[in-house]
Amino acid sequence: MLELFSYGPLGWGDEILSGLWVTLCLAVTTLPVGLLLGFAVAGCSLSQNRIGRAIGVGYTTLMRGLPEILTLFIVYNGFGLLLNHVVTSLFPDFGRVELSPFAAGVVALSMVFAAFAAEVLRGAFLAIPKGEVMAGQAIGMTPRQIFWRIKLPLLWRFALPGLGNLWLNLLKDTALVSVIALDDLMRASKVAVGVTKQPFTFYLVACLLYWVFCLLSELVLEQMEKRANRGVRSV
Amino acid sequence: MQPTSSPDIVLKAQDIHKSFGPTEVLKGISLEARNHDVISILGASGSGKSTFLRCLNFLEVPTSGTVSVHGEEIVVRKDRPGDPRQIERIRQHLGMVFQQFNLWSHRTVLENVMEGPVQVKRRSKAEAQDQAEALLARVGLADRMSMYPSQLSGGQQQRVAIARALAMEPDVILFDEPTSALDPELVGEVLKVMQDLAAEGRTMIVVTHEMDFAREVSTEVMFLHEGRVAERGPTDKLFDNPDSEAFARFISKIR
Repeated sequence: MLELFSYGPLGWGDEILSGLWVTLCLAVTTLPVGLLLGFAVAGCSLSQNRIGRAIGVGYTTLMRGLPEILTLFIVYNGFGLLLNHVVTSLFPDFGRVELSPFAAGVVALSMVFAAFAAEVLRGAFLAIPKGEVMAGQAIGMTPRQIFWRIKLPLLWRFALPGLGNLWLNLLKDTALVSVIALDDLMRASKVAVGVTKQPFTFYLVACLLYWVFCLLSELVLEQMEKRANRGVRSV
Repeated sequence: MQPTSSPDIVLKAQDIHKSFGPTEVLKGISLEARNHDVISILGASGSGKSTFLRCLNFLEVPTSGTVSVHGEEIVVRKDRPGDPRQIERIRQHLGMVFQQFNLWSHRTVLENVMEGPVQVKRRSKAEAQDQAEALLARVGLADRMSMYPSQLSGGQQQRVAIARALAMEPDVILFDEPTSALDPELVGEVLKVMQDLAAEGRTMIVVTHEMDFAREVSTEVMFLHEGRVAERGPTDKLFDNPDSEAFARFISKIR
């Protein structure tokens, strides 16, 4: 049993671990990209500008309505084709560019993450107490200071639980990239199952690994929420 | 500098109008505050007194009319302060205390008071902390400095808010119904602090329902009725011998 998970050509330990590494890299790379994009989209949705609002609302409505896997295919195949088309028409001698599965995964997952995060951030932004912002204005703070010193910490407080949920979703949604031949944890397990015909063992291990990282995330999130909620009366 | 404005006029508002949509809330209100003035603004709810106070530091932008601080007129362009730097600079001279305290809930009492001096005035943290500790001791909260606002009573929160306003060393402090959100037994501690401030010669403009405070502490009273100044003058004269029917009715109802 244990030799199945040994390192080297006979066991699957190294494949599983490197798959886990890819999964984690993918999730950790996607998070900041998706979060920044989410902020941008939320900013659009909240803007006074009608066109900006249309873009923001349109984006969230569209992206939240698409199955993640379809987004991934569109990005990996469609976006790759488009990229090639643009590059070859600009630089005919450049040759073909490949959108790596990893990059496609980051782009697609970020787009999905951003759409949901934008809604969480928008709601959190609307929940910021107006009075605390006004108090900043009244002592002569600049809009930038008000954003960094008052709005953002309060926004964070309201957004963190929702963003935490999205992070857990993201961690598990990375499994989708296995279908575009990225050797993540899911694909490594599938390959191992294909060769050894031991689905129960390998899927169980994959389950455990996903679950452990979700559990760890929840512990970290709990600490972060505690910090974000400093000064809030616990009921 | 206009030749007509006397040098000790700190704050001057002229013919302030404010409309929200079709409703005109302020129909031309003027005010002059000299150094050491304590001006109480009275009026029934809906008379526009809080809106007027907010127009003074441009938390509300007047529909028309001018506000000047130390003779410098606030520039308006397209219904907003025309020069953000100017309004930020002028607001540093106008402290404000809100009805709902509006302390920053994610900062401790000490941090609330230090925030303005450190961020806006660019003071060193050590200097700001010394000042904040002294101010908090003055309002009787020396032992609450590391607490968060939510751990304090309303009266204590309002005293922190006063300390926060004082930390900016303002020339005028605007009070927007500072005791209206407080339980009756907590009103006294806040009024006491305000009374002390008046006694040391602070210039204050106070929107209030506290008749006794207005009568005992303020140098001048302004009574708003339906968006206009129905009556104004030195405190003693007004309370003993009101000219307007509206104000006579108002004070008889309160007593």
